[in-house]
Amino acid sequence: MNAKTGELAMAGEADPAGIMIGLETHVQLNTQSKLFCGCANPVHQDAEPNTLTCPTCLGLPGAKPRVNERAIASGIAVGLGLGCQLAKEMFFSRKTYFYPDMSKNFQITQYEVPLAAQGSLEAQGKAIRIRRVHLEEDPARLVHGPRGTLADYNRSGVPLLEIVTEPDFRSPAEARAYLQKLELILAYLGVAGGIFKSDANISLHGGERVEVKNITGTKEIEQALSYEIVRQSSLARRGQKAVRETRAWNPDLKITQEMRGKEGEAEYGYIFEPDLTRITLPQETVAKIKATLPELPDQRYARFLKHYALPPKVAESLVSDLDIALLFEQVAKEVDPKVAGTWLAGYLKKTLNYNELSFKASGLQPSWIVWLLQLFVRGGITDRNAEMAIRRMVDEQLPPQEIIQKHGLAGPVEDPALLVRKVVEANPRAVEDFRKGEAKALNYLVGEGIKASKGRVDAATLRKLVLQLLE
Amino acid sequence: MRAAGRGYGGMTARQFVREAQGGLDLREFYSEFFSRLHALQQDYRLLVTMAEQAAWDALPASRPGPLRGLPFSVKDNICTQGIQSTAGSRILEGYIPPFDATAVARTKHAGGILVGKTQMDEFGFGTFSTNSGYGVPKNPLDPSRSCGGSSGGAAGLVRALDLPHVAMAESTGGSISCPAAFCGVVGLTPTYGLVSRWGLIDYANSLDKIGVLARSVDDCALLLEQMEGFDTKDSTSLKRARTKDYRQELDLRKVKIGLPKEYFQGVDAGIARTVQGAVDALEREGAKVQEVSLPHTKYALAAYYVIATAEASTNLAKYCGMRYGQTLPLEGKFNEFFSRVRTRYFGDEAKRRIILGTFARMAGYRDQLYLKAFQARTLVIRDFERAFKQVDVLAAPTMPLLAPKFSEIASLTPVEHYQMDILTVAPNLAGIPQLSLPCGELQGLPVGLHLLADHLNESALLGVGRAWERLTRPVEEG
Repeated sequence: MNAKTGELAMAGEADPAGIMIGLETHVQLNTQSKLFCGCANPVHQDAEPNTLTCPTCLGLPGAKPRVNERAIASGIAVGLGLGCQLAKEMFFSRKTYFYPDMSKNFQITQYEVPLAAQGSLEAQGKAIRIRRVHLEEDPARLVHGPRGTLADYNRSGVPLLEIVTEPDFRSPAEARAYLQKLELILAYLGVAGGIFKSDANISLHGGERVEVKNITGTKEIEQALSYEIVRQSSLARRGQKAVRETRAWNPDLKITQEMRGKEGEAEYGYIFEPDLTRITLPQETVAKIKATLPELPDQRYARFLKHYALPPKVAESLVSDLDIALLFEQVAKEVDPKVAGTWLAGYLKKTLNYNELSFKASGLQPSWIVWLLQLFVRGGITDRNAEMAIRRMVDEQLPPQEIIQKHGLAGPVEDPALLVRKVVEANPRAVEDFRKGEAKALNYLVGEGIKASKGRVDAATLRKLVLQLLE
Repeated sequence: MRAAGRGYGGMTARQFVREAQGGLDLREFYSEFFSRLHALQQDYRLLVTMAEQAAWDALPASRPGPLRGLPFSVKDNICTQGIQSTAGSRILEGYIPPFDATAVARTKHAGGILVGKTQMDEFGFGTFSTNSGYGVPKNPLDPSRSCGGSSGGAAGLVRALDLPHVAMAESTGGSISCPAAFCGVVGLTPTYGLVSRWGLIDYANSLDKIGVLARSVDDCALLLEQMEGFDTKDSTSLKRARTKDYRQELDLRKVKIGLPKEYFQGVDAGIARTVQGAVDALEREGAKVQEVSLPHTKYALAAYYVIATAEASTNLAKYCGMRYGQTLPLEGKFNEFFSRVRTRYFGDEAKRRIILGTFARMAGYRDQLYLKAFQARTLVIRDFERAFKQVDVLAAPTMPLLAPKFSEIASLTPVEHYQMDILTVAPNLAGIPQLSLPCGELQGLPVGLHLLADHLNESALLGVGRAWERLTRPVEEG
């Protein structure tokens, strides 16, 4: 992540499809209070509509904003995390436009000079240049219902960070990879609150730039951009040109829809926000934030490779989920790191993904994982049953000791040879097939042995015993 | 006026407070006060809202502080909890703020009693208070003439009331000094940032200042002492220790007064002579007088109107019928609804300034107008910085003309109207403190002497003001 990789990306020619995409991403910050008043930030609670408000965020006559310094600190942390240059002096501007979600019909934002600029983010081996990072206030939430449209001002004034890239993406997949990485960096920095929304600018073969607004999350970005590429390409096939316009992403229909054309382009008439003074960022404050900046994904990945000698794929998988990465470090203190890494990146993540749960939400305790993996390393449970135990632990919210006992997933089998003899006797046709030279029959018998032992005898042992008996 | 009124008539605010602290019957005083106020309202329309019931309710709880029992009025663009605050605009008719402006809260805390909300040009847009949505206040000296603006109701009330009272007012480009001059009262506009703007309904935030209109320099000082000081709720309020006392008189022999030559050009000859006479009197008392130049004065008016309207056009965006104030039945698209409400309830001058201000900040004009105006503002500020290296106080006429008749005002074009502010906009652009004092009469109408000082040098301003008062109309100090 340095300026040099940024230049390389810039020097890259547009690919044959001629796709140029830039993103503007808005993320709510998780500060305790709002950006310009002392009201509680609603990202921390499920509050009744219009209960987290005051004269300032309601835009009452005579009310004035004052800047939440914690929000600036969060913005600085993100700027540093994206390798940006920080502004020496900060100020805010008014962006004026009329809309029912606006408490003042102007938004306090940063225009001429953003909080941070000229950074870079590396996603899947490609450096994406960050043009600017700035702070602004979220408008109110509009709720459309049978009584008409209602406004909930709880969201009015929530700090938003807008992160703008250069038009460096050449495919929807690159845009998605970037957003995933950005989301991860924000998670590592511990600053993100809620909504993670993007607007995309996209053009094909140097044609007019189309803006697509309101794309939520990382999955939709790929869908929205793919749709837009197909739309613009089919226009071109029909001999038409894409026009400069703003379109909205409709996540239900999975299409982009016309919002306004070039003639409807907004004129915001920016002025300096006269209620706020210019803020010089004290060097000590910046130095302090820099010193306390947490380890970021790329740094943690490098450390995992070096310190734990993990395979790159495993390290990457662990690092891509902050909870899992932290769990790994805890578990690796008591379990062979390679085993811990493989299990966490593999079976554990698979189980969590299947249940659509984060580790935090899964109810699993780190001590449970440690106990189970230690048992596995000692040979006290088979690979198959350890995986089964993880699944059951999530389902039943019980520690592994109880799960194993309840479902008989581990423990000695008195006489494995006797068990194999019974399996062989019960399956004469398989034995016959085996003798005819069908390799699959052996696998079948081993499988029956695993079933009969409830997985407590591993496949290698069973195979050896079956072969001994039949040969 | 009955005997009791005459008894209070000559009192300074400080003397009245001392009486109130000593057990003066405030109920008797306020009976007198409100009967007088009702009569004045009939004659001159100086108030938008009278706060009689609120005053009676506040009396028993009036705090024994430095403003104990003192009646104060508040310009209608300063929010008062539970009392309608419209900023003179129909669009805010019926709007009752849920909080007090910091200046109001501090004044109440010191024992002051709110008596009413004074008339003004809509949002402060005007020089004659003729742009009010609630009728036009008339000058008590001659009801066919204007009180000045935009704090016309406040100055008129100070002039008309022969009772202790101070008026909390506000200036963006001269809205305290102008009506002070036209009504022959004292107007103090403090340094920008000295008094918190929390609760002030914005006209142009980088220029708005809460100040005082009163009968004497000391009355102004008394209210300023209570209002001023840092407030966390206003980021532009200045972080400094409060000056608890503005009572010092200056030794005129140690004062250097500058006469900015540009401020005597294009001024009514009689007014220029009257102001020169006042300065001569101060010189005879020992003040050193010299001519100074403020060469960028010619840019001040244009810079002021660009910055003020640009800011105003964004401030007024919030008034759209959706959350407070006047509204209309919901029909059509949201922007059609907003336009209908704004068309119906904003006055002509508000619409004119929204259009001017929006134009000045539009892409393509922003560099030539809005950003250029900031450069001009810087030049104006440097003029004053240079001048205050040579002199302590600048003296000039407050207004280029005497209080005009309404019939004369009606024939002015908007540009001629804006030119009335030619002497007051530069000090307001620079955010320096200003004091307008009555310094004589012409044709029976008062002439204003405008004293200007460097940032936060209110003491010099008030000190010279006191010396001038001692020369002209000795007031027994409290």
